[in-house]
Amino acid sequence: MSTITISNLRKVYGPIAAVDGFSLEIPGASVFGILGPNGAGKTTTFKCMLGLARATSGVVLYDGRPLVPATLERIAYVPERSVLYDWMTVEEHVEMNRRAFSAFNPARAFELLELFNVDRRRRVRALSKGMRTAVMVALAFAQSAEILVLDEPTGGLDPINQRHVLSLMINEAAKGNSVVFSSHQIGQVERAAEQIAVMDRGRLILQGLVDDLKGDRKIVEGVFPDVRFVLDGIANDPRVARVDRTERIVRLLVTGGANDIASRLSAAGAMGVRILDLNLEDIFLYAVSPATATTDIVAKGSSS
Amino acid sequence: MPALLTVDPRSGVPIYLQIIEQIKRSVALGVLQAGEQLPTVKQLAIDLTVNPNTVARAYRELEREEVIETAPGRGSFVRANGVAESPRVAAEIAGDALDVALREAKSVGLERPAVRELFEAALRRWFGDL
Repeated sequence: MSTITISNLRKVYGPIAAVDGFSLEIPGASVFGILGPNGAGKTTTFKCMLGLARATSGVVLYDGRPLVPATLERIAYVPERSVLYDWMTVEEHVEMNRRAFSAFNPARAFELLELFNVDRRRRVRALSKGMRTAVMVALAFAQSAEILVLDEPTGGLDPINQRHVLSLMINEAAKGNSVVFSSHQIGQVERAAEQIAVMDRGRLILQGLVDDLKGDRKIVEGVFPDVRFVLDGIANDPRVARVDRTERIVRLLVTGGANDIASRLSAAGAMGVRILDLNLEDIFLYAVSPATATTDIVAKGSSS
Repeated sequence: MPALLTVDPRSGVPIYLQIIEQIKRSVALGVLQAGEQLPTVKQLAIDLTVNPNTVARAYRELEREEVIETAPGRGSFVRANGVAESPRVAAEIAGDALDVALREAKSVGLERPAVRELFEAALRRWFGDL
């Protein structure tokens, strides 16, 4: 069981900070999901974790120790882009990995290739994008690694094979291994990940247990009879993370205390007060998009 | 045997709460009997394709509420107490649903007599005339 600690990681390419001061603790025996829009810095973070890119500053520690060649034996990595050789067969890749990693299990690799329906005798050149992903996933999970770093491990896969990948990840976590993965498919992260980190423009903007984020974050919505309504300081409550309003409707993103805020909204004269659950996609979109009206001109003007 | 539980990961309701609710419901309905063994954390995690720690959290909470008990090395079982408590659990499930309905009724501006009338009509529909 390995804990990965990322502290103040920064990676600058010319004038651009791909990763801009990022700290995160990834626990062992769990599946950790990293979400973020394109260019958020997910792949660069993975590369820095594996020593494939040299961090401009900051460190990545495995159980408190820096990365050494022996640590790399314990890590399996599925990169975002194919690193397979076009002119080699799938079988030859299995052989190559057997030589490269001491704990590599060729029988397991063939079993997984069968699960994904990949013909081991084919050359990589003849494989679709999804099949290449499947080959890389099969090789990674056959490495008997304690840490699996998977960058878009379901890219191009059909729904059945996507589910196979998620099951493999869950299985690793159940065995006590650490799985870190990124995916654009929020539904997958939502299902398999215990914890998530949301990255945007190289920074960490949200982190936590998926179940806790869902449990705490609610939308409290109300409709006021008149467009000139007064929020009576509700917007200043520290639990109100953002205020979105259009005409007579107000939507408050709250972190905890949804029932209390809902009562206060009713007391302020709102009708149809509802508490809405947020799924991970909603939480993600709220995290990466600005509020339509954080400063509430009508409410603040009227309450004076 | 059909799966004991299903979860909807896309829902805004935390997965561990969905598991708790469904196990309580199965106990209240007698689908799960006193002394019956539950799947292991690992097995249920694999069946549902959710994180093992999420399942473990649900089981811990069910233990705390004395619905199930876990014997180290043997597994988790439905408590006799959990079944005896099933009317209370049923009342809790129904109470939560009523609470949501009444909050909705209040929030759209209905007064108490109108709500009572609706309630009586629903009661007759589902339970028949007295």
